Amino acid sequence: MSETYLPHGFQYSSARHQAESAISGMWLFLATEVLFFGALVLTWIYSRHWNQAGFDAGARQTNLTIGTINTVILLASSFIYSAGVAFIEAGNARRLVQCCAAAWLLGVVFLILKFGVEWRDDFAKHLFPGAAFAIQGPLGGGARIFFEFYFLGTALHGLHMVGGLVLVGWIIWRTRHAEFSSTFYTPVIVVGLYWSFVDIVWIVLYPLIYLVGRGP
Amino acid sequence: MTLRFRRLWLTLALLLLLLAIEFGTSFFPLDRAARPLLLIPAVLMVGAVGTMFMEVGRGPEIVRLFAVAGLLWLTILLGLGSLDPMTRTDYYVQGASVK
Repeated sequence: MSETYLPHGFQYSSARHQAESAISGMWLFLATEVLFFGALVLTWIYSRHWNQAGFDAGARQTNLTIGTINTVILLASSFIYSAGVAFIEAGNARRLVQCCAAAWLLGVVFLILKFGVEWRDDFAKHLFPGAAFAIQGPLGGGARIFFEFYFLGTALHGLHMVGGLVLVGWIIWRTRHAEFSSTFYTPVIVVGLYWSFVDIVWIVLYPLIYLVGRGP
Repeated sequence: MTLRFRRLWLTLALLLLLLAIEFGTSFFPLDRAARPLLLIPAVLMVGAVGTMFMEVGRGPEIVRLFAVAGLLWLTILLGLGSLDPMTRTDYYVQGASVK
């Protein structure tokens, strides 16, 4: 953030002040996002507590293989984007583009696996909580609530992923137009914060969806 | 390889190790009520991403304030929200039926 000699908005005392405001603003936004997804986690706690057997019966129907592969993909994507930030700090814009492109591609692979393969499989197995829901009997109610959580949680996370892909694409476009250098790269940091946060949300959703309910 | 890149690689290795632990322990025959303990590696992973990839310790002071505030309000949300399911006691009433 050594942007002291760069131009800055009139409302900031320096370019450094402007950069710090942008980074702080993203952290404040992420704090609100924590509460947004916190309500989803609370729903999980409440729903599972009152319907443990049915809830876990639903969780056992999820695709653990795809869920685990997707977790590795997002961890790798977040790592690669962070490496890109380190590269632009060192003044290597070409490497930043390569890292962003790799992170972007991994994000697309995640979405294809999640919605193109896993969701399609779930719908084919009648796991969407509608009239033809596959799990009936005494466990049906809890399983239905689990899949309401599952579809809502993964859809909200997927929407955030799509937003992240647009932002990472925007960083690639701006870097290719030589807008970033070792003296100015604040947007790269700000988008990286968001991209890692989306990864964090998945890190929490992964055990809630795929692991906790897979008991004996 | 600079120290920065070495730290990033180590963080990725740590995250994959924690993921492997989380995945492996999920096959242990834990009691149904104790299975949320499987979230412990996930909490550690969140900490690793926050400190090493998002570099929460690096920006201005207010960044830490926002991060702590987010965690504080999340704790209040989950803590107060969980009070009812964690503390309610259901008593059996002879002859009563649920309609």
